[in-house]
Amino acid sequence: MNPSLKLALLVLVALEISFTHVWTVNVVLIVVSLILMLAGHVSVKRLALLTLIPAFFGGALVWSLTLRGTATTHFLLVIFTRMVAYVYMGGWFAQTTDPLTLTRSLEQNAKLPSKFAYGFLAAFNLMPKIQAEVSTIKAAAMMRGQVLHFWSPQLYFKVILAAMNWSDQLAAAMTSHGFVEDAPRTHATTIPLVARDWVLLVGSLILVQIGLFVGLP
Amino acid sequence: MKRWHIRDIILVTILAIFMGVIFWAITPLYSALTALFAPMGLQPLANEILLGVWTMAGPLAGFVIRIPGAATLGELLGAVVEMFLGGVWGASTLISGVVQGFGSELGFMATRYRHYNWVTLTLSALTTTLVTFAWSLAREGYSAYHLGFLLLLFAVRFASVFVFGGILTKLITNLLDRAHVLKH
Repeated sequence: MNPSLKLALLVLVALEISFTHVWTVNVVLIVVSLILMLAGHVSVKRLALLTLIPAFFGGALVWSLTLRGTATTHFLLVIFTRMVAYVYMGGWFAQTTDPLTLTRSLEQNAKLPSKFAYGFLAAFNLMPKIQAEVSTIKAAAMMRGQVLHFWSPQLYFKVILAAMNWSDQLAAAMTSHGFVEDAPRTHATTIPLVARDWVLLVGSLILVQIGLFVGLP
Repeated sequence: MKRWHIRDIILVTILAIFMGVIFWAITPLYSALTALFAPMGLQPLANEILLGVWTMAGPLAGFVIRIPGAATLGELLGAVVEMFLGGVWGASTLISGVVQGFGSELGFMATRYRHYNWVTLTLSALTTTLVTFAWSLAREGYSAYHLGFLLLLFAVRFASVFVFGGILTKLITNLLDRAHVLKH
């Protein structure tokens, strides 16, 4: 499925189940996401993680609602299945979508300005460096006997300075390689957007609407 | 009004990733707090205490980059990072990202992107709390709590957002100001 439409489907369905109270639809979404993840060869370890996390947090939330609120069993069931559905749908999307293809699709199919598409890509490719930088900053502070926590302003100060430096350098590098903002571009790789993608999007949305409004529990 | 250029786009993205990485590191703390509070039925408190940290990318990006939309974009990209790292809330993280970012954005909008000071950050903390709380009422079923408990949750959430999005952000931007890297 086209990544942009896949994202649209994910966000629309997640938004809709946040405001409706039909647990059977949540369960169907969980099962469908699970099947899609199995078909997409997601590892068992990842699946176990995707199940344990919402079970733990959803369970804790439901327990709190029972003790501190006036929720009915139906309401609790809706909240719990909703949490699992969020995580499963997110897992399906994150595990079966390549960020590079998604960005290309957003640029070509969803008409995101190319400066955003390439800006995001440039930054996301620095991800490992960014992770290493946080450790470096903490280690450097430790050598001077300073421990930096997530509430230490110095940690963020250093992080922002690094971010400013790198964004200057990356932007200069892109300009010197001929990148011009808002100039028309050609694409080495095109992401197809065909009738089948639209049918899948509209079809899935219609099915969800039927499920939500036909009177299921 | 300032427009987005490639440098700003890269800056807000790198900033969001940095915040994502730092926030990712506090997930064990979130789990520990949840496990601690859950037996007494106080799980949402774990959420409220840490919420300020998760919504910090918004005010920080808004304050440092000073272009309309910076707070929303910063928070949304932080959420994208979190989802791809495998965050606790999955798909709804993306929606929460927009909701939280827009909440902070309202504070900057209220001062018409002209004033960057205590008032802006306090307003931003207030709008973030109001907007995200409305979202929690629907998404996490907060509407089913007793009123007294709901008020407690709201107070804790505001305190957290104010401490991290207000006080800590101000301390950070003070350091940046002294280093002369903020544009005026």
